[in-house]
Order: sequence, then C-alpha cells, then structure tokens
Amino acid sequence: MASEIEKGTKYIPEMSKSEIDDLNKSMKTSSLKVIEDNIEKMKKAWKNRPKAMEYFDEISNLFGKRQEEIKQQKAAGKKVIGYSCIFAPIEMIIAAEAIPVRVGSGWYDSAKLGDRIMPVEVCPVIRSTVGAQMVNLSPFLELSDAIVMPLTCDGRTKLSEMLADHKPIWRMNPPRVKDDPHTLSMWKQEIMVIKEKIEKLTGNKIDRKNLKAAIEKMQQATKAFRRLQDLRKGNPVINGRDAMLVNQTALWDDIERWTQKANELCDELEKRLEQKQYSTYPDTPRVMLTGTPMIWPDSWKVPNLIEESDPQGIVVVDEQCSGDRILYDPVGVDEWTMSDMIDAIGERYLMACTCPCFTSEHGNEDRINWIIDRIKEYKVDGVIYYVVRGCILYAMEYQRIKNVLDAMNIPVYYLDTEYTREDVGQMKTRVEAFLEMLEARMDI
Amino acid sequence: MLEIIAESLLVIITLALIIAGSLAIVIWVRNNTRKLSTLRLFVQIVAVVLIFLGLIIGPFGQEKWEYLGTAPKDIAIGKEIFGRPYPDGLTVPTFSCYYASGRTATCVVWQLQSYLFPDFGTSSVYATTGVERLAIAAGLLIVMSIIFGRFLCGWICPFGLYMDLLTRLRKALKIKHWTLSDRTNEALRQARYLIIAAFLILSVILGMRAIAGVELISETELGRYLEIPFCQVCPAKPLFVLVEGALGFMDVDYMMSQTIGDFALTGWYLTSINIIVLSVVTGGSFMIRRLWCRICPLGGLIAIFSRFGPFKKISLIKLTKVEEKCTKCGICKRVCPPQVTEVYDEKGGDVTVSSCILCFRCVEMCPYEDCLKVEVAGKPIYKSKNWLKEEE
Repeated sequence: MASEIEKGTKYIPEMSKSEIDDLNKSMKTSSLKVIEDNIEKMKKAWKNRPKAMEYFDEISNLFGKRQEEIKQQKAAGKKVIGYSCIFAPIEMIIAAEAIPVRVGSGWYDSAKLGDRIMPVEVCPVIRSTVGAQMVNLSPFLELSDAIVMPLTCDGRTKLSEMLADHKPIWRMNPPRVKDDPHTLSMWKQEIMVIKEKIEKLTGNKIDRKNLKAAIEKMQQATKAFRRLQDLRKGNPVINGRDAMLVNQTALWDDIERWTQKANELCDELEKRLEQKQYSTYPDTPRVMLTGTPMIWPDSWKVPNLIEESDPQGIVVVDEQCSGDRILYDPVGVDEWTMSDMIDAIGERYLMACTCPCFTSEHGNEDRINWIIDRIKEYKVDGVIYYVVRGCILYAMEYQRIKNVLDAMNIPVYYLDTEYTREDVGQMKTRVEAFLEMLEARMDI
Repeated sequence: MLEIIAESLLVIITLALIIAGSLAIVIWVRNNTRKLSTLRLFVQIVAVVLIFLGLIIGPFGQEKWEYLGTAPKDIAIGKEIFGRPYPDGLTVPTFSCYYASGRTATCVVWQLQSYLFPDFGTSSVYATTGVERLAIAAGLLIVMSIIFGRFLCGWICPFGLYMDLLTRLRKALKIKHWTLSDRTNEALRQARYLIIAAFLILSVILGMRAIAGVELISETELGRYLEIPFCQVCPAKPLFVLVEGALGFMDVDYMMSQTIGDFALTGWYLTSINIIVLSVVTGGSFMIRRLWCRICPLGGLIAIFSRFGPFKKISLIKLTKVEEKCTKCGICKRVCPPQVTEVYDEKGGDVTVSSCILCFRCVEMCPYEDCLKVEVAGKPIYKSKNWLKEEE
C-alpha cells in the first residue's frame, strides 16, 4: 500500500489520453498560427526583408524542420539535453556530442493549463512550461533526455520538482552572492557535477580536445552574434523583432549552422548599410527592452506592438536572457588546459551574467552597468521595462534601475503584463503614449 | 679630443642602427602577429639582446676584458655624465645584471648598494664621488620609473623573459598552473619593501667603516663580498653569468675561483645561495606564472616611484577601466600573470597597482570593447576589443 508521502509525490495530475491529445492539437494549431502571424507581421513591416531571414523564419517553426532533425539525430543515437536557463554550460553539452536545446516556454495557452496546479500569482513562464509538459506541447521538452535546470529563482526551483515527474532533472545551484570569495569555487563544483552527468548520459568523455573544439565553436557563434548586435548600433538596417528572432533561434538551432546563417545575414545587412537601405526611418525612436525573458512565439506581442504602433518605435537592443545576453559573453581561455577551460566556462556563465537573481555588496550593479553601456552605445531614446506578473526579481529591481535612468534623463516605462492576448488593446494605448513622448522629446 | 668625438659618433651610429633594427623587427612582428603577447615576447627578446649582447655583437666586439665584471664598452656608453667619467654603465631598473659581461646597462639595485658604500669611490676608475653616483643612479631610477613604470618588468626585464619562457614551456606541456592565495600574494608584495630596506641598511652597516670610521663588522675574507648583500642572494645573477659562460663570453673557471668559504658561501659571480634561490625560483615559476615578480625588490623600487604618493599622478603609463563596460566576468583576474586582483575589483578609473607588471594581458583578453585601456600620458594607445574578430 502506498504511503501518504508517496501519494503526494506527483504534481502533475493524471489526464486522460484523449484530453491530452485534444488540448495538444488545439494548442499546436493556435501556436502555429501565432508563429505564422508573427512572421507575416515582420514581413509586412519590413519591405524587401533580406533573403537570409527566410532561414530563420523556417527554423522559428518549433514544430517544423528543427524538430524533425533532432528526432532523426536522436534515432541515430545522439542524446538531447534540454536547459531551462542560459546558465547551463552549453560548451560541455556540445563537447559530449549531445544536442543542447532551451526548453523555456512562451505559449500563452499552456499557461492557462498550468493554472490547474498552481495559482495565477506564479510567474507565467513557469506555468506555461508545466502546462506544455502536461499536454506534451513543447517538442524540445519532449525530445530531451535530461534537463539542466539552474535554480535561479523560486519559480524554477519548484518547476524542477514538477518536471521531475516526467524527466531526469539535473539541478544546478547557482550561488546568489556574486562577490563572495567562495562563489566561483562553489559554481565550479556545480559545473563539474553536470560534466559528470553529461558524460554518464552520453557515454562520451569530455576531454581537453573536444571541449576546446566546443568552446571555439561557441566563440564563433558569439562572434556572429556580436556582429549582428553591432549592426543595430547605427541607423536601423534590421528591425528589432527580426534581430530578436535571429538571436533566439540560437537557443535551439544547430549552433554551427546558425553561425553560418547569421554571418550570411550580417553580410547582407552590411551591404545595405553601405547603400543606406534602412529597414525603417532613421529617426524612429530607439527603444531598449529589459526585464523578463520574451520567449518566442507568443511573447512577440510586445515587440510587435512597439514596432507597429503609431508613432512607430524600433527595438535596438535588449537586456534579456532571451536576447542580447544569449551569446554576448565569450568564454575567454588563457591556457588551453582542462582546468582553465572549466574556470573560463564557469566565469562566463556565472560572473558575466546580469540576472536579477544575483546580488553583491553593491547590489546587482552588473545589470545597471550593462544597461548604461547599452544606452550609450546604441543611442537609446527610451527604455521599456517589461515584467510579467509574478516575476518578482525583475519587478523589485525596477526602482533602482529607474533611479539610474532618471539620472541619465532617459525615460523608462514599466510595462507589466501577463501571458494573455487580451491586454493587447490597452497595452497598445500605453505603448503609443510612451513612443509619442519619445518622439516629442526627439523633436526638441 | 678628436678621439672622444670619433668614439661618441661611433656609439651614436651603433645605437641608431640597433634602434632601427629593433624597430624593424617590432614592426614586422606586429604585422605578422595579431596577439599582443607574441609582440611582447619579441620585444623581450630584442631587449635581452640589447642588454647583454648589444656591444659584443656590435662594432665594439673586442677581446674579453681581463676583469670580467666590467663590460667591454661600459666606459664608452657611460663615458661622460656631467663632465665626469661614469664607468658602470647607465642605470636601467631591470635585471640587467652588473656581473654579466657585455651588458650595456646596469641593474639599479647593484648601483644603489655599491654606491652607498663610499669606500668604492677611492678606486682609480671613478672621478665622481659616491654621492654623485648615488644621485645619478637614484635619479635615473626615478625618471625611468615615472616614464615606464613597471612596463620595464613586463616588457624589458631579462629575468621576466626567463619566467615567461618557463610559462610557455609549461603551457606547451599542457600542465595546469598553480595559483597563490590572495593573502600569500599580499605577503609577498609587502616582503618586497622589507628586502629593499634590508639590503640598503646592510650596505650602510657594511660601509660604516668608511663613513664614520666605525667598524661594525670586522673586515674578514667572508665579509668582502657582502658589501653588496642583495646580489649574494639574487636569482638573476647566476642565470646570466652562467648563460654568458655557456655562450663563451665569460670564463666559468674564473667565476668559480672568485668564491670564498665552504660550498661557495659568498663570492663575486656565483654563490651557493644564488644557485639555490635560482633553482627555487625556476621551479616555482615553472608552476606559478611570474613568481619572482611578486616579491622582486627591484619591482618594488619601481613601484615606489610610479605608483605611490605624488608619483602616481605623474607616472606616464596607466591602465584604466570603464566601469559600465565591465561585466565582472573575471577574465582579467584569471589571465593576469602576477595574479593582480585590483583590475577586477576596482570599480573603474586608474586601476594600475604596484604589483601590476603592465604586460597588458588583461587588456588583450578582455572581450568588451574599450573597457580596459592602456594610457600613455592620458592618451589611449591600446584598448580591449572584441578579440573574437581577430581569430579568422
């Protein structure tokens, strides 16, 4: 007889197969529609969109080409390792010849499903991911053999328990205080544990040679990534949404192919920059996004609003782990020994990160510095601070960021929302008012 | 008179040729290496050739001086300063060891010690008094510290090159380096000043007889070489004289004859303590990058005149950091050969510290554009850049 404690182990309720299938089908259909809509909108907003973008449109279909590819590679014996957050040491996954995919979920529909097992106060990213798991919606979550889950916030900590009903979860415990003397050594131990787990799952040993190759592969990706970001510094040659999509596809695409395609796109954009073919008017107000990650496809509602409203804005840069922070920081290796490479990986993922889950003697200064630098480099006119309800860490840091931006005389707008499509109408009014103000400021 | 003019002309031409040659090499290297650390290696090699072999391979190459310690053309180089002969070679605050034959410059530590001991002045070679020589040596030390600072340690010092070569060997063997704790580094950093104080005080004590007529330590055979106490323990001296001996520029048998006591306890060229210190430092710097630089009293001397008090403001070469561009990723801290932590810890502005050897490895490795800068007299000459771009 099962004891009381065993009855309580499962979070995710039993659902009938027909219910799962029905929900899966309807959500998949609506998701495909959202993806199509988003791409349609991006195409409409940007006449003569470069040909190189077609590849990213194709790969952005979560249920399309990439899913098939991973399925085939998995059938051929490769392992798939999911990760919930950019803290996971991707170089090691690549070194062990496994496929890294990010499994965070951006489906609004599945967030409603998550409401069945947790209150609406919980961050919708968590609810949506659990909901996707309930009806097997997320192809990458389904395909993962294991999931690396850094316990960055409270939501993710419990999410790891919920998903553990279905998948092996490898938890990573990031130290929350960055400037303690023992922080790095703690984190390196976490990385070493993950390394062993990856080796055990894949059966491939991570050694000096393949780790070096993986680091160099990722450095090439960073190089292409930064090239694209740098192109956004001047007059707009690429719309914010398109650049964000390119950035985000790096989370599930084959990283070598992604690098090549991103470089092709940059080649084309550089040519356009010379010919002064801009994607929109050069005097469009330049907006920076910061806050909660915006996950494809449903969360595109905010950048869509910004770039389609009247007056129009353009997202030139962001400070989000779903955007600029994905690949911006390289792993810098001094000596190509195993220990130095692991030190370098540890530092890149922990120390360079600006996630508000960290604190230090001077608070999360790194994030403020990052934002100040971006505002100056990208000549940002205004900042939209995007927070989904329940994302406490970002919501609480707002006041400090606002004080800094006020001192810099940069307007900031706190845009709080939910995983829902219903608030688009009223949000449009808010965003338009903000952009109007930016434009008025520019005229002066 | 004519002779002096002819000779100085020859010196000038040689120097010009040497400078032109090394510039050509540096430019060639710069165009052929993308990495600053490779450029640094070449500069170091050129510097070593200039310091130790400059005049031997030049037109002044002449038969070995009978008195090995004096370089063949010391006198030509430092012939006249303020109208007086200055035979020991000009002061350069690096380990351009006095004892090695053929050197073109002299280590300031040797000069400070020996000129503090006024008895030396009675020798016929000198026309300057001890105080004048001391003033010249100290003056040149201060001027070069202000101009170059510890850039001399990172880019010129021959012993630094030796340690860098050991590091390169270790890298080639794929051996992981050891690190010292911040506390140990801090202790070594403080120890530099104790060593400086110790050798200066010892020099004065041993020179008391001549200064005040008081004999604090009765003159013994053993004490003869202790007049220059630091050189009795210096790790660089045995390295250079042995290398020169191996190359045939110096006579090893002669060097060995100039020792006193069992197991060569003290001596002019080589002592057993020298050899022991050299072995320890060699082993240590094979595993720990730039180990000696952390305790080097010469580096400490340069640091005093470039990083403290009023000198900090007027020193020319500075390392600066822009706070908002820094993500605190920690690369600068990890790649630093003498394990300086201040570049990482300090918020921004001037981050040069006394233990920094200005090798600019951190600037080379920092992946954030314009975050770290090398400034000469306030003008940036080298900045951190997106180094991913370089690796085609």
